[in-house]
Amino acid sequence: MTPRLFLHVASMGARRTLSYRANFWIQALLTFLAELGLAWFLWRGVFEASGATLVAGFTFEALVRYSILVALVGRVVHGTDLEGAVAQEIYDGGLSRYRVYPVSHYAFKYAQHLGALLPALVQLVLFGLAWILIQGRAGLEGITLLSALGFVAARAAANVLQFALAWPIQGVAFWAENVWSLMAALRFVSSILGGSLIPLAAFPASALPWLEALPFRYLYAFPVEVLTGTVDAAGFARGLAVALGWTLVLRWVGERVWRRGDLSYSGAGM
Amino acid sequence: MIQVRGLAKTFRVQVKEPGLKGSLKGLFRRRVVVKEAVKPVTFEVGEGEIVGLVGPNGAGKTTLVKMLAGIVFPTAGDASVLGFRPWERHNDFRRQIALIMGQKAQLWWDLPAADGFLLLRDIYGVPEALFAERLDELTGLLDVRALLDTPVRRLSLGERMKMELIAALLHGPRVVYLDEPTIGLDLMAQRAVREFLLRYRERHRPAMLLTSHYMEDIERLCSRLLLIREGELIYDGTLARISEVAGDFKVLRAHLKPELAPPPGEVRALVERLGDVVEASSGLAAVRVPRAGVAEAASVLLQRLPVADLAIEAEDVGTVIERLLKSRTGAAP
Repeated sequence: MTPRLFLHVASMGARRTLSYRANFWIQALLTFLAELGLAWFLWRGVFEASGATLVAGFTFEALVRYSILVALVGRVVHGTDLEGAVAQEIYDGGLSRYRVYPVSHYAFKYAQHLGALLPALVQLVLFGLAWILIQGRAGLEGITLLSALGFVAARAAANVLQFALAWPIQGVAFWAENVWSLMAALRFVSSILGGSLIPLAAFPASALPWLEALPFRYLYAFPVEVLTGTVDAAGFARGLAVALGWTLVLRWVGERVWRRGDLSYSGAGM
Repeated sequence: MIQVRGLAKTFRVQVKEPGLKGSLKGLFRRRVVVKEAVKPVTFEVGEGEIVGLVGPNGAGKTTLVKMLAGIVFPTAGDASVLGFRPWERHNDFRRQIALIMGQKAQLWWDLPAADGFLLLRDIYGVPEALFAERLDELTGLLDVRALLDTPVRRLSLGERMKMELIAALLHGPRVVYLDEPTIGLDLMAQRAVREFLLRYRERHRPAMLLTSHYMEDIERLCSRLLLIREGELIYDGTLARISEVAGDFKVLRAHLKPELAPPPGEVRALVERLGDVVEASSGLAAVRVPRAGVAEAASVLLQRLPVADLAIEAEDVGTVIERLLKSRTGAAP
């Protein structure tokens, strides 16, 4: 796939998702307020019940900030759940049209996925700025130009990894009628083990090496840790390497699943 | 351009028994049925030829098209399209074919067709000048220039189909598969699509394989016909020849002199003795009789009725095809 085509597909994906203006603002505001409210009340309750000033090494304000950032990053990683649409296309025969295009289906879908992330990216910037305005200097604690650049790289790696992780699961649709439950399970597991629901520091120390070796941390916690300056240069390089390694492994698995599934594809519904 | 040798496809279909009990059983074990969607078929399609692929629903037409477009893998046999094996999905192959599905859109629903065309230009790597020239030609032929900036979802079904045709042909394919391109369209839109396809064929000479349930599509567009029944190719030849080969009946149409004609009841009673009644009134006696009995039936009609004019007609092609497709045996050579 040429870079020009990649950008074109991504731009069309973005235009499609931005064409529903009301949907964009309602979804953005309501979700942000719900996430903010949930984080505030949850951690308030935890701090009050325990009487501690630090939980998993975080102050109350730092935990709320972490929760908000990780939720915004999560949205950018998942986007509009385009991966779910891929399984649907296998199920209803929509995949057939991509089979006749002289381009890589994976690259085409990834470009669409990236384009569809634009609204989430806009939301990340808007709400990030709003948060800084509300919090003042405290909102920027630990964030430097270098950490922001590192965040961009870590977030890009998270995005590629998430797509590679979802791809083999979508391929299960060649055999199963509905992979929604598998996707929901993946989302749930990756939220817990990736530090989206609670910071990874809250897990027992013995679990931490495993969490660092698994791919999920690199979807949520790692980009936020990079942004807030809690990861040093060596940790940053190691994190990117693990994310890349998992992406390659999952890409290989995905190829095998899809090659096998393709043999049983009937294009039903076409 | 298209050579097919013994191409076949079987599907393994899981069958779930009806009712709650069946659903519960299905959680543990499901019966698998092997369905022969396409039995070994052999045929060729040349440059500039439009070949009609006709058969009832579920006969295997679309599966055959999907194999030749490289969408599904065959179970047996081989095919060569423009020198490529379609299911290997070589990009040079995919750049030279088009698949138009009347029931599936390839354009983006929320965006204007023009945006979709620009994307297809980049997908197929069509040079900008050539793209502009083709877009101008196709939008002119289909008379949709004014609609290019309208979101696809706001177009009528006929307008959408025209845009789909343009989308499929912008890269100048040498082989075009058309799967029910006129389905659901009103008569005017159907005619416009047919005329466009004929003009396009004249100008560009692609090989076209067309599936349709509309006889008018087949009669107007196709020089050749492939009849497919339960996955089996039962006829490969011209439309004209099908009546000769499989038209075992003729229709005798006798116009009666009004002043001398007996009451309709009498006309019907006579016609019923000769064959299948097509029409029996005091002005017309029309009967379908086996070929071998044409002379005798004509003689009876002339002797027993005040015939002003007698026509012996070949059976309607659609009727012949319908009978062939319905019969369990009797494949035409």
